[in-house]
Amino acid sequence: MKVKTYCYQCVAGPDLLEVEVENGVATQVTPNFDAATIHPGGGKVCVKAYGLVQKLYNPNRVRTPMKRTNPRKGRDEDPLFVPISWDEALDTIARKLIEIRGKGLLDASGYPRVAASFGGGGTPQSYMGTFPAFLGAWGPIDMGFGSGQGVKCTHSEHLYGEFWHRAFTVSPDTPLCEYVISCGANTEASGGVVGVWRHADARIRGMKRVQVEPHLSITGACSAEWVPIKPKTDPAFLYALIHVMLHEEPRQRLDVDFLLNHTSSPYLVGPNGFYLRDLSTKKPLLAEAIEKTCHVKAVEIGPDEEVLAEGELQGVTAFTKLLEHMKPYTPEWAEKICDVPAATIRRIAREYLDHAHIGETIVIDGKTLPFRPVAVALGKTVNNGWGGFECCWARTMLAALAGALEVPGGTLGTTVRLNKPLSERHASVKPGADGFMAYPLNPTDKEHWKPEPNIRNAYRTLVPLAANGPWSQALGPTHFSWMFLGETPPGLPRVTYPELWFVYRTNPAISFWDTTQVAERMAQFPFVVALAYTRDETNHFADILLPDQMDLESLQLIYVGGSKYIEQFWKHEGYALRQPVVRPATEARDFTDIATELAARTGLLERYNASINRGAAGVPLKGLDWSFVLEEDRRYTRDQIWDAVCRAASAELTDGEETHGLDWWKQNGLRVKPFPQSDWYLFPTLAAQGLRFELPYQEQLLRVGRQLERRLHEHGMQWWDKQLAEYQALPAWKEFPRLWEEELARAGGKAGDFPFWLLTSRSMQYAWGGNVGMQIIREVASNVAGHGGVIINAQKAAELGIAEGDSVEIATPRRQVRARAVLRQGIRPDTLLLIAQFDHWATPFAKDFGVPSLNRLVPMSMDLTDATGSGADVVRVSIKKTQK
Amino acid sequence: MVADLRRCVGCQTCTAACKHANATPPGVQWRRVLDMEVGEFPSVKRVFVPVGCMHCEDPPCMHVCPSTATRKRADGIVTIDYDLCIGCAYCAVACPYQARYKTDVAQFAYGAPMPNEEIGNDEKRLGVATKCTFCADRIDSGLAKGLKPGKDPDATPACVNSCIAQALHFGDADDPGSNISELLAENQFFRMHEELGTKPGFYYLWDRK
Repeated sequence: MKVKTYCYQCVAGPDLLEVEVENGVATQVTPNFDAATIHPGGGKVCVKAYGLVQKLYNPNRVRTPMKRTNPRKGRDEDPLFVPISWDEALDTIARKLIEIRGKGLLDASGYPRVAASFGGGGTPQSYMGTFPAFLGAWGPIDMGFGSGQGVKCTHSEHLYGEFWHRAFTVSPDTPLCEYVISCGANTEASGGVVGVWRHADARIRGMKRVQVEPHLSITGACSAEWVPIKPKTDPAFLYALIHVMLHEEPRQRLDVDFLLNHTSSPYLVGPNGFYLRDLSTKKPLLAEAIEKTCHVKAVEIGPDEEVLAEGELQGVTAFTKLLEHMKPYTPEWAEKICDVPAATIRRIAREYLDHAHIGETIVIDGKTLPFRPVAVALGKTVNNGWGGFECCWARTMLAALAGALEVPGGTLGTTVRLNKPLSERHASVKPGADGFMAYPLNPTDKEHWKPEPNIRNAYRTLVPLAANGPWSQALGPTHFSWMFLGETPPGLPRVTYPELWFVYRTNPAISFWDTTQVAERMAQFPFVVALAYTRDETNHFADILLPDQMDLESLQLIYVGGSKYIEQFWKHEGYALRQPVVRPATEARDFTDIATELAARTGLLERYNASINRGAAGVPLKGLDWSFVLEEDRRYTRDQIWDAVCRAASAELTDGEETHGLDWWKQNGLRVKPFPQSDWYLFPTLAAQGLRFELPYQEQLLRVGRQLERRLHEHGMQWWDKQLAEYQALPAWKEFPRLWEEELARAGGKAGDFPFWLLTSRSMQYAWGGNVGMQIIREVASNVAGHGGVIINAQKAAELGIAEGDSVEIATPRRQVRARAVLRQGIRPDTLLLIAQFDHWATPFAKDFGVPSLNRLVPMSMDLTDATGSGADVVRVSIKKTQK
Repeated sequence: MVADLRRCVGCQTCTAACKHANATPPGVQWRRVLDMEVGEFPSVKRVFVPVGCMHCEDPPCMHVCPSTATRKRADGIVTIDYDLCIGCAYCAVACPYQARYKTDVAQFAYGAPMPNEEIGNDEKRLGVATKCTFCADRIDSGLAKGLKPGKDPDATPACVNSCIAQALHFGDADDPGSNISELLAENQFFRMHEELGTKPGFYYLWDRK
């Protein structure tokens, strides 16, 4: 018997699969070939899903609820967990929650008393059933304790990407693209089935990808060319590409029409750096060409509506400002910084323009659209922390120069998470004041800016671009929640420990930066409820362990299709069901049943059911002509709830014609309707509304930065000044690598003593999977170089007397880890690489790997935090051979 | 079988799918993908190479087998009869592709067998040589249903079915109209250790003609 279900263990999912069941035992995972024409990866399944059978039967699972009996918490303290009944576990949690509710939802500092952390880039939402309805019923919850957000994601891309083109993540239009410049984007390891599938097809079609990165990644291996760039110098490389296109190539090689009519290029900039505006309407004034200097009657309005100049003013177009700004960034200048030959930079810039097909069109879904098959992709570490803004800006500029932004073949956004509605990026395109898309910036004006944050990481106070939607808490400076527990900077209310912390499918004691510090803070949390699959390094500090049913035991309907994350571009959209393929192997309960019990035992059942009715389970239960709403005072079973959700989803997909219930969905697994390919491209939606992309000039960001600076200073907050410098109309190159050398100095080290750049890289077998305890994953991942130790350049290793397999110590001034040396040619001599995130000390099976993680070595630092609140996975280290 | 090296990303999905389909014990990988480097920094290429039994036309493993356990089917698939195999491992030594395994004691992922391992555990495989069978049972059962190997999943090896890059292909190289014949006609290819004269039935594509 085969059972249809899905795997969403990583952000590159979902994969639609079938599980073979023999005599009630799951035996193997196979692709769902029935979905081959619907799923953009042929219905195939990623390697991680092949760990699900072991995940089901793993003898190391937490099999019953447990409670801690050792009141002392610490890494070296045995929690002395003992089994308890579900009633005792749920009653204990409910009592605590009721007690908290009695005191008030916010504490004396104004922070929520209850916190919750989920990992995996939002993928736990596809497993937590109706828990979001419980969270919604509860009220304010601090979801800003990070477990990887900011430092493990492409954070700058998330914020600036959404700002410029509704691009929470960014992708080439791979099926049509001809030429991709990829700065460290490791699509073949992190892009899932669809990414691998699309790029393999593109390679055979002849697409050329140039991979620019310090080590030869999986994606580098699959690219036409590898450019081994020095770490954290990517902005210099990208700036030099722009320089060549602006100053060395004829103007007609650019898409001048696109720049003139669809960007801010012709906007006139005044003497103080702000747009010149019409005296009466206050609308920005535009020149008739992209390169122009002129005198006009205008007003220049600065921060806080201040009139900076008025009358006959000189205006310079934004494009002219760009020309001046980029002039110093020659290939020869960049070569010295990023160690890439100037000739290589020039060649790549010209190849990019050679493939841009300026002026050509293509017909998709009957619509004639520009065809610009060139793109730039950015990877993690390039795309977060200092330099991330500059890289994102340069990438988006490179697309704009060729008119290759949000058009077929070009650079595309995938989905929105900060703009609303979350489900539909086109609907999020709304006109703003100055002719660009409106963006829900957190306020920085005197009236609305608030010095009192709503949660501990202070995203609303510090990061205007983080907006204030459901995802914003996790997209602020999520390490500050941990850092500020130690010392809260002046001006913010004292950061407090949450009185109850829910943890689900995340392990920040392993996955975040500076994991030693994170674990020390965690040990101080008074009451931790961990939904637990096995024991791990985070639930080591828990008070209650609740075993939730795992992937092949539990049930949930999720939205699939459309365009989402990385390379997920479908020509369909609809819903897919995850369902139990076998009877539960332990006493674990479905998360939906756990959520319902918590709601009932805390007196929140009515609010909980109402939340489900509104759509907290993914589909509103009432539509135009249908209603499957739950009675608010009734306690429903999992299957009753999801039957209603299934019926509502069926109705939604068919305008009420079908109302299939859970049984139908269990049989079929999937129901979709067409999603037009033309909806992959945002350009037509902007053009139809007469809106422009807010490039090249960042007047709005400049304004916001100045206002934020004033607000912070008015409240005695000077500690964010370094970050405020990022708010530039045209971002300048800064000596980014030096920031990490300065961090060494603060830690008491000298750059010369720590000459290596230690980086990390995603493992396709492990990334986001929470599958480190799976023997099969360990076994097959071992075939890929680097999973057993630290990768070092073979010649450099020989210089240091290090041989393959030698034990080495990798050190910062403050911490050291040990690893086995893995000698490879595909890495710069000044770079070391630790793949994935290991270093486990509590997770069964994984704790015996003996492979360290970069996370223990990366300092959590205000100085290494950029203006978006993110850091980068990079640290300067030494390496030496140790005695065996 | 054909592996298109331009497509393979070394993800090991085929490795894992093979382990599922054939219930091989820990450490036994009838299909796996090598992660190789060629050249020296900075002029270095990294390449992923799927390997396993090459199902040679002239298989050295068969010639050294003293018990005639290793045989070759008419369709080219090299088989091992576990009832005849005496576990001498001459074949494992003779195979230039390191494709053969021998497990003497039952091995399980976490010590004691899990329910799926109890179902998959086959005592006949202990103390004998094992290797990739091209999922011969699946091919035979598919053919009996009128299905076409390489086209219909139920008649195609699990590794090929699983491949997320469409790097692995399977079919009848003797049929000039087959998917395999077309790929070999359109692309440049090689076979591993061709110089040994084993005439592998496993082709690697590396560029178009």
